[in-house]
Amino acid sequence: MADVIATDSFLTEEQSLSLRALLDLIIPADADRGMPSAAELDLVGYVSEFASNQIAGIKTELESLDQAAQREKGALFGELEKNDQQTLCDHLRETDPRFAIAIAVQTLNCYYQDDRVVIALGWKARPPFPEGNEVPQADLSLLDPVRERGRIYRE
Amino acid sequence: MAEDIVDVLIIGAGASSAAAAWSLSDTKMRILCLEQGDWMNPAGYPSTNKHWQVMLNPDYNQSPNVRRNEADYPINEDESAISVANFNGVGGGTILYSGHFPRLKPSDFKTQTLDGVGDDWPVDYYALEPFFAQNDRNMGVSGLAGDPAIPYHEPPLPPVPIGRMGEVMGKGLNKLGWHWWPSDSAIITEDYEGREKCINLGPCNYGCAQGAKSSVDIAYWPMNQRLGVELKTRCRVREITVDENDMATGAIYFDEDGVEHHQRAEVVIMACNGVGTPRLLLNSKSARFPDGLANRSGLVGKNLMFHPWGFVQGIFEDRLESHLGPMGTCMLSQEFYETDPNRDFVRGYTLQITRGQSAAATAVNHTLRGNIPWGADHHAGFEKYAGGSVNMNICCEDLPEECNTVTLDPNLTDSDGIPAPKITYRLSENSERMMQHGVNKATEALQAAGAFQIDAHGHTRGTGWHLLGTARMGNDPEKSVVNSWGRSHDVKNLFIIDGSIFVTAGAVNPTTTIQALALYIAETMKKNLANLFD
Ligand SMILES: Cc1cc2nc3c(=O)[nH]c(=O)nc-3n(C[C@H](O)[C@H](O)[C@H](O)COP(=O)(O)OP(=O)(O)OC[C@H]3O[C@@H](n4cnc5c(N)ncnc54)[C@H](O)[C@@H]3O)c2cc1C
Ligand code: SF4
Repeated sequence: MADVIATDSFLTEEQSLSLRALLDLIIPADADRGMPSAAELDLVGYVSEFASNQIAGIKTELESLDQAAQREKGALFGELEKNDQQTLCDHLRETDPRFAIAIAVQTLNCYYQDDRVVIALGWKARPPFPEGNEVPQADLSLLDPVRERGRIYRE
Repeated sequence: MAEDIVDVLIIGAGASSAAAAWSLSDTKMRILCLEQGDWMNPAGYPSTNKHWQVMLNPDYNQSPNVRRNEADYPINEDESAISVANFNGVGGGTILYSGHFPRLKPSDFKTQTLDGVGDDWPVDYYALEPFFAQNDRNMGVSGLAGDPAIPYHEPPLPPVPIGRMGEVMGKGLNKLGWHWWPSDSAIITEDYEGREKCINLGPCNYGCAQGAKSSVDIAYWPMNQRLGVELKTRCRVREITVDENDMATGAIYFDEDGVEHHQRAEVVIMACNGVGTPRLLLNSKSARFPDGLANRSGLVGKNLMFHPWGFVQGIFEDRLESHLGPMGTCMLSQEFYETDPNRDFVRGYTLQITRGQSAAATAVNHTLRGNIPWGADHHAGFEKYAGGSVNMNICCEDLPEECNTVTLDPNLTDSDGIPAPKITYRLSENSERMMQHGVNKATEALQAAGAFQIDAHGHTRGTGWHLLGTARMGNDPEKSVVNSWGRSHDVKNLFIIDGSIFVTAGAVNPTTTIQALALYIAETMKKNLANLFD
């Protein structure tokens, strides 16, 4: 679960199923890297708390995804075999550059702020304040050539 | 009951106001500042939250038209190539600013004499020098002495760490033989005056929870209040009033409940910034000033200057951890600052090198651009881009042109019904050519530093951070709004101290110069107290 306050879903059960299937295509798990699938995160809870103005857009995108799945494959997207989901998704992305854009943006925002993901990437799973971060000062003798050149401003 | 008349009434509690109030406080005059916004609560800044990367909008958005806080006034920008960024509250724009603090240079004060463009200022760099230094001490400024692109000065605190990204960029710039230097920054790098040092949180542009960024609500106002300056918040001034002798008598304002008051004053100082000040002057029409207060020159609201701003982003293979550290301050190159007759434009620009994007922003931007794929390769794609971006910002000098204006919008008003400003602005051909040169040079620098991918974005609209020139200084009352020490030519007890009074814009972030000027004006007022209105 993402570290957010879970709220009632704004999706129907069918839409939730389709969403999870799509999320797994956007960011699948990577065991070697210790990265979870985006489908494992609570995207709905995240969007409800931090991006509620995106809910309508996300629902519309899921509706069109399910309609396309019905049209092309005769079932809702979440009910299709994985291979069919992938083929349909590739096709929709090719034909519409804005396909599932609201879902993708919120997924990436949610994913890259999730504790498990942040830790797996070698960063710290906490707010910047109050602990802060270490940034090294460079070797400032690098400036010697700049100094040697002398004054460059005009009076 | 005797009427409440203060000695000095300052409108606005931003960068310039804070500095002038501090200086004037030693006169023991009664000084009152009216600010339309409120005090900030640093505990509410996004960096205190794990999800800070998405909490930046809309409350801390730099655009008042997006933010729409109670203190904000709307701005019609439909006819402007650049949109305004500001903050309305105690601290003004410094609440959101990066604290990048380079000074204008000697040549900036005489562009007409040196290059035949713009106008010369009625003051020069050296007149302001002691005030730059005083302001550096008051604000808490860090930097490295000895930059050969500016007269020698010693910032009170050591420079912000330029980090691995700074090292890589420095080496690249050395290969080209170009100037670069760690930036002067209004960020404290050591504990200073009761404030704790910068801990490299990163998101300085959304308020510094640590209090290390020298926004004036922290650096000046608590000190000013201890010195006796009064500050009333949530008071929005509608109009400056004048008498039949062309003297300002005070200001009409609405308090937080929308109740109207008239505050009387012996001296009025305007510090509402390059958009807020002309707006208020134009709203202060009277029989004696039918075109707006202090506007007999017709120049109030004219000559608006931003700095046309462009970006070029480079991505490096090394994990530079470039997303850590104060986001807007790292280093700069002023190789192309001064006029070179061999170029196809006059004057010049600064290359401001700023930190990279946070993880979420990296993922979103590069996925949308197709650089990071969906599917199994997503993780490798993200690794390629994470922590390795460096931004070169091109900050171009904008020359004054009367067609670039702040006027009053005929329809738009704020929540108190006060007419709102309208911006009319376009980039000049000189700026366009300068920008193209800057984009090419920034690209060259990133190539020299070893970036494997370079994305040039060029001029970008949402960059109107620097609001300058709309009530310019000058010795000639027909060609300027205020004199060499900020006093209105038309209204002898009205002063302007904010970015409006800039004659030309230079090619650097203006706040250190705005504050040095405010201190200079306050000092000159003190010297002339006996005959202030002569
Ligand atoms: C996102 C961002 C980043 C920036 N980064 C930098 C940087 O790195 N370096 C730099 O030098 N500059 C930077 N700036 C610009 C800097 O903030 C301004 O130059 C500076 O704050 C201007 O000072 P000022 O005194 O002219 O006005 P401001 O600081 O804008 O203060 C004006 C104040 O007047 C108040 N006011 C306006 N009208 C009224 C009214 N009618 N009644 C009552 N009160 C009123 C406003 O609420 C405001 O608080 C940045 C700005 C922003 C928004
Ligand atoms: S980087 Fe430093 S100045 Fe910026 S927000 Fe963090 S502590 Fe404050």
